[in-house]
Amino acid sequence: MVSTASASFDSQRLNAIKERIRNGEHRQHRRASAPDVLAEVGAAGLSWPRRAARLVRRMCEAEEPVIGPDERIVFTRTTPEVPPVYLADEWQRVTAGRTIHELGPVNNICADWGMVLSQGLLGRKRVARQTRARLAGDPAAQEFLDGAIETIDAVMDLAGRYRAAAARAGRHDLAEILARVPAHPPRTFHEALQALRLLHAVLWLGGHYQAGLGRFDQYLWPYLAADLTGGRLTRASAEELVAEFFLSLNKDSDLYPGVQQGDNGQTLMLGGVRRDGSDGVNELTRIALRAALFTEMIDPKINLRMSPRTDLSLLCLASELTRQGLGFPQYSNDEVVIPALAAHGYDLEDARDYCVAACWEFIIPGKGMEVVNIGAVSLPGAVDRGIREGLARGDDFNGILARTAVDIRRQVGDLTERYSRLLLPPAPYHSVLMDGCLERGRDLSGGLRYNNFGIHGACAANAADALAAVKRTVFEERSVEPRELIAALDANFDGHEPLRGRLLQQAPKVGNDPEADAFLSGLFDMFAEACEATQDNGRGGRVRPGCGSAMYYLWLAQGQPGDSTPPIGATADGRVRGDFFSANLAPSPQAQVRGPLSVLQAFSRIDYSRVYNGGPITMELADASFSDPEALAKCATLVRIFAQLGCQQLQLNALNAQKLRDAKRHPERHRNLIVRVWGWSGYFCELEPAYQDHVIARCEHRL
Amino acid sequence: MSHGIVFDIREFALHDGPGIRTTVFLKGCPLRCSWCHNPEGQSGQPQEIGAGSHRRIVGRRYEAADLAALLNRQAPILAANNGGITFSGGEPLLQAQFIAEVIEGLNGLPVLLDTSGYSSEAQFRLVAAKCQMVFFDVKLIDAEAHRRFTGADNAPILANLRRLGEMEVPFVVRVPLVPGVTDTRTNLSAIAGAVHRLPGLVRVDLLRYNRAAGGKYASFGMPFRPGFDESAEVNLDPEPFTALGIEVRIPGDEPGRRINA
Repeated sequence: MVSTASASFDSQRLNAIKERIRNGEHRQHRRASAPDVLAEVGAAGLSWPRRAARLVRRMCEAEEPVIGPDERIVFTRTTPEVPPVYLADEWQRVTAGRTIHELGPVNNICADWGMVLSQGLLGRKRVARQTRARLAGDPAAQEFLDGAIETIDAVMDLAGRYRAAAARAGRHDLAEILARVPAHPPRTFHEALQALRLLHAVLWLGGHYQAGLGRFDQYLWPYLAADLTGGRLTRASAEELVAEFFLSLNKDSDLYPGVQQGDNGQTLMLGGVRRDGSDGVNELTRIALRAALFTEMIDPKINLRMSPRTDLSLLCLASELTRQGLGFPQYSNDEVVIPALAAHGYDLEDARDYCVAACWEFIIPGKGMEVVNIGAVSLPGAVDRGIREGLARGDDFNGILARTAVDIRRQVGDLTERYSRLLLPPAPYHSVLMDGCLERGRDLSGGLRYNNFGIHGACAANAADALAAVKRTVFEERSVEPRELIAALDANFDGHEPLRGRLLQQAPKVGNDPEADAFLSGLFDMFAEACEATQDNGRGGRVRPGCGSAMYYLWLAQGQPGDSTPPIGATADGRVRGDFFSANLAPSPQAQVRGPLSVLQAFSRIDYSRVYNGGPITMELADASFSDPEALAKCATLVRIFAQLGCQQLQLNALNAQKLRDAKRHPERHRNLIVRVWGWSGYFCELEPAYQDHVIARCEHRL
Repeated sequence: MSHGIVFDIREFALHDGPGIRTTVFLKGCPLRCSWCHNPEGQSGQPQEIGAGSHRRIVGRRYEAADLAALLNRQAPILAANNGGITFSGGEPLLQAQFIAEVIEGLNGLPVLLDTSGYSSEAQFRLVAAKCQMVFFDVKLIDAEAHRRFTGADNAPILANLRRLGEMEVPFVVRVPLVPGVTDTRTNLSAIAGAVHRLPGLVRVDLLRYNRAAGGKYASFGMPFRPGFDESAEVNLDPEPFTALGIEVRIPGDEPGRRINA
């Protein structure tokens, strides 16, 4: 079935736009040089907050309006580079002794787009002015608010130049929209999407990244509902606008920073309950899913909130999207996520309003300055050290478990200690888009309502399998001598093939044996306990344990440039040095499992009331599984079972091994082939070979 | 308490019956269909395949109570989603007593029997009477052709088919479409004639021939000699059935789906 056949609008115009974006035609408008902000702010000796505001202003000013002849939602970035605001040695000085997260700028949080749209930038400016008058004696507040106003004016000026360019091009429809937004609240759904496009794009211009779109079908629904009722739009014309908006998000993917291209965090959340707890699914939920079916590109990354009661027809529509193979949508179970957030300091109404950060981490739009990925705890590393030390010193099995727990605490402690010295650069424009920054006269970087950290608990299945194998072979059957096991691991199983075979074939594995499943949930209990030991992360927040692996399934196994210690060697689950670990929550790549029900049951045993930073169960299905309507409905039912079992998050990937292998050999034939990598989807042919190989291996071990 | 030999257990089997189902594949088959996709189902004994650390045994012995307990771990999920357990093979009726005991231990889960129909009357009645649905393969009506392509007489199969019609168990007739062998208009018309008056017939499924059929033979040290032109187009015309008012389905292709029972 060809997905584009499902578009309910005349898709000729958008197919042309899609083709142009895929061919990169919009890149012809990019200019080589970035504005020299450094010279200006250095000569004026500006403070960091003022430098940050000036950067946004000069970047907006440097943009040359581009009005595509057939575009109804405009903005095409023309300044690819974000220039620095400090010289390298100045940067060293201002950040001395502090921990800088990733590239530095505030990232991986979500704005309160609904609030900004409803107030308009002029409304935000009024708030800033009122606070400025109220806090007349507070110089830090004055400086912050002056900077915030500078950025607001810069965005309105950019919109004004787009309006003028549209008028010159004879596009009075666009000019009229741009005369209204983003300064004023939108009057229509179309105006709201145009405002969102500009407001969101400027975040990236200012150096922020992994900027998500939040609960799209919630904050935009009032605008669409009014247009549908008023007869200004039909469902088909609304779907066309949403599809065009989605396409526009793909123009600049190549400019966004990430571990691999595609890892850009342009997530979008659909479905779920409203702040009052009532069902939030509406017509826009379905329109957005259908628009994503049409778009077939890596952005936005579609997430769907659901529960055991979610309508099967909605899950069938979502499964059609899964069938496309892009790895969308990722599902989150409201019934598990909301109570866990509410139990950890989130107001119940805010907890009900959650969306996800770049990959899967649960965050509250507009309300958090959380750093949800300060690093990963290597669970295979903790277990490996526990086994080696414990066997060397003649421990019983409980001794090995105790050592593992100590190692996990040490890893959490190291990460938390490092991030207690976190320094976030001022973020005046991002502050405009959040709740409470302008209102309190305080920059976002200083903190907001929620200030937690998150840590990934990576590669749990291999770690649990290693524990299960040692317990079974060394302590119960006594068929393996401790010294023999250590020697085999040190030799990477060279000359120990029969032992490796026993560990692989006969020891219990997560996904096919309740004992191994129990070790997995036990490891997460240890991890949760270690995180709970931190009462204050240095920013008034806690440390949230999660169960995603991100790129660590590869980094921990094969190392990466700059590692201070060598990667883990062979492990007691029978894995040889260099082999991938399991990605996110999945059985280890070597384990033979009976199927998806056993996998869901295994991971349903994790105590998600304590492990609440997110991290999906990741399953691969052959794309042919979705071939007829009955099978599609069964896939939708599988998603419902995921929720019925009390699991937290799910990625379902439809893969075709033959196609992937062909794409590796002949990238030119598959340039639009999109695959889920860890918490995001990217173009297969743009991934490095190691990541391509992992996707192919996952597919060959599919359920 | 009896035991049985199982060569695979697959959850979320999409084309083995209604709802969310787990399929148990029993090892051993009295037929030798030349197009068989599951050569590991033919011998009734466990077999060793692979080498080195990849060496593994195909075929595992279960006590009936243990297999029932394993399946019961997921009984609530299967029951809540209109599913159940499917027994397939191989030919499950070669282990009829074992299956009957497993079914007794199943906490009332709906059971589907997926059979070639080749068994004694007693074995057939023992299991079919405990099932909520039967998938019954009918391959060839012509006795000589049946012997040539499956190595077995089809008289017991057709007798069990008639018995099934009298048992008030709803059933689906499944026809593997093998190019030039089973997909001929003559054969399909004969099958339609044999089944269309049987009470309990729900529909006929026409199963496309899967060209990956020979893929597994090498691992088992067996030659694959299909004895027909694998690349020929399959005749998917359902007219011989629809003309008699029989509902026909052609399930979507799925790699690895088994066709022979």
